Amino acid sequence: MTATATRPVRTASRGPSPASRQRRELLVLMLPALVPVVLFSVGPLLYGIALAFTDARAGRNVEYGFNGLDNFTRLMGDGAFWQAMVTGLIWAVSVTVLTFLFGLGLALLLNENLRFRGFARVLAVVPWAMPPVVIGLMWRMVYHADAGILNGILGTDIDWLADFTFVLPAIILMGVWSGMPQTTVVLLAGLQNVPAELYEAGKIDGAGSWQRFRNITLPQLKPVIVAITSLDFVWNFNQFSLIWVLTQGGPGGRTTLPMVFAYQEAFRYGRFGSAAAFGVVIMIVVLAILGVYLWRQMREANA
Amino acid sequence: MRITSALAAAAVLALSAACGSGGSTGATGGGTASEAPAEPVKLNFLSLAWQKESIEANKALVDEWNKNNPTIQVTYVQGSWDNVNDQLVTQFEGGGAPDVIHNDSPALSGFATRGYLLDLKDKLPAELKSDIPQPAWDTVTFGAEGGVYGVPFLQESQVIIANKKLLDAAKVRVPTADNPWTWDEFAEVSKKLTKDGAFGVAWPMKSPVNKTLNLALNFNGTFFQTGADGKSTVKVGPEEKEVLQRIYNQIHVDKSADPKTLGMGTADPLPGFYKGEYAMLPVGVYLRQQVAEQAPEGFEWVTLPPLKGTSSNQGAVSQTLSVSADSKNPDEALKFISFFLNGPNQARLAKGDWLLPTSQKAATDPSITGAENGWDVATASVKNLVVAPFLKVNGYDEWKSKVATPVLQEYYAGKISLDDAAKRLVEEGNKVLERY
Repeated sequence: MTATATRPVRTASRGPSPASRQRRELLVLMLPALVPVVLFSVGPLLYGIALAFTDARAGRNVEYGFNGLDNFTRLMGDGAFWQAMVTGLIWAVSVTVLTFLFGLGLALLLNENLRFRGFARVLAVVPWAMPPVVIGLMWRMVYHADAGILNGILGTDIDWLADFTFVLPAIILMGVWSGMPQTTVVLLAGLQNVPAELYEAGKIDGAGSWQRFRNITLPQLKPVIVAITSLDFVWNFNQFSLIWVLTQGGPGGRTTLPMVFAYQEAFRYGRFGSAAAFGVVIMIVVLAILGVYLWRQMREANA
Repeated sequence: MRITSALAAAAVLALSAACGSGGSTGATGGGTASEAPAEPVKLNFLSLAWQKESIEANKALVDEWNKNNPTIQVTYVQGSWDNVNDQLVTQFEGGGAPDVIHNDSPALSGFATRGYLLDLKDKLPAELKSDIPQPAWDTVTFGAEGGVYGVPFLQESQVIIANKKLLDAAKVRVPTADNPWTWDEFAEVSKKLTKDGAFGVAWPMKSPVNKTLNLALNFNGTFFQTGADGKSTVKVGPEEKEVLQRIYNQIHVDKSADPKTLGMGTADPLPGFYKGEYAMLPVGVYLRQQVAEQAPEGFEWVTLPPLKGTSSNQGAVSQTLSVSADSKNPDEALKFISFFLNGPNQARLAKGDWLLPTSQKAATDPSITGAENGWDVATASVKNLVVAPFLKVNGYDEWKSKVATPVLQEYYAGKISLDDAAKRLVEEGNKVLERY
């Protein structure tokens, strides 16, 4: 459009400008990629949002209709909903923070010139290759009250997954373990992109290793850190399969993460409308938290 | 704005089901045969059998049926109690639910209300109907019209499995079906058996609700009252509190119950039971199977009859076979069920699952009435089974998992008082039930 406006003469004489033709070609080329996105992401998303304003429920030949904000007001008054949100936030924040800290430590270690570095790097990625269900089953054995490794090592007699106090820390530990490889790999890639000259210059100026880490590594890594922690947070907040395999949300709802709650609402109690409303709420919460986080990071970066 | 069931798959399925049944009801038997004699009717049978013997019994019966009925071929589909209800909701909604569905009576009420299950009331063959007593049919009858949404076949009662050597050593009176222990006597015995680091009893309460509610009927604790409009509310009065308090006392006051076993599933305390860490296990009759097969050499055990409060009544929950409302061949499905659950076959299934048959013919089968492995005590406990009131409560499943399970777990763990527990069961519970 701007091209046509600024150069009217050439347009008139030679048809559509190369720029606008290029844009059209671009659209045609993007179409194959856009169709699946619209079909499988945007479509279901819009359908889900529409469903959130109806009293859709399970049943044979059920007729359902628009019910305004009923689903939302009911959710706000539901204690289980708030418990799920709080549990979800505790879980997502602790797992994200711990994963980041351990991942950074591991990445720094693997970035050093160690013996068997290649082998160690491969080992660090192994949990990534495991499907969540397998991870869940594996940790169930770790936490088993009678035959579990953990009780064996600690010499304790605790049923980790049935204990009201220990169950949340226990699943957070598992979440950290399963989230670490991805975070480590991304941070390691970031570390390798930090120019070596900066460290040399720092050394010449007499900066110790801690100062070099604080003043060179961290600022250089910042974009990577922001990206991976935001992704991890969204991923963790929406975690379902790990928890489902391990505790199914129990004991007594102590590990009912938002997605577990939504699943139960839809497929156990058959209230699709209410579950869809919950999905919308989660989307808004995640977007809001991420928005504030990214906005602050950007402001700091620009300042 | 009105939207008729938007799930395209469901609509298509409903349509095709309507066509299918329209075609075949006109001429049952004859119609199907003349259309395509070479093409047998195919049925899917979702079975939840999980014990080895039980799976064998189920599969053997299906094979036998297939051999004798070339026109109606049944495919055995293995399911699991852990996720059957989630699986069924998905299948009912999306289409492709199995024709014959194995489940238990507490799940049927919800499915029946949503219209997923076929009402079998007018379709049941007389022989099957008369072989199973009315109290058992009551566990699967729902709604204002009294629709029958399944055929009940295996029932569970709560008995006590005990370590015989420890009982003998403590010289306690061994109860009989005619003269069972009262709860007071049970508490006394438990205290007597608690010594030398061993506990009298273990209460595995990972899933405390059904167990507590079934036992609560000993003191006439019904937990629910249903109004004329079919709406239920929760009630936790002195009758309901009896069993709650008694179990709590064993754990926290008498200290005769092992607190470590509280978080366990029903079968988890068995290793400790074999080692003599606790002398008695109040469990469902089916657990005898594992004890009989896994107990170490020389381990002697007995099955003790259900306890007595003001009565020995217990809530009955039965396993059931139902027909999907969308099944294209409901009549054939019912024929298969009638065969599968006839007297002799029920005896085989009961033996395989170590449960009690509903069939009166099966109940007289010598293989499940002998004294070996406590069958006599187990079979005698059938007379104590009454319809559990919660079976008729719409929304019971949500009350159970959202309210009752956490509350009872916390109560038994000693985190909240009985009055708090009662208050939450009622207040939070009624909020849940309001939506049904």
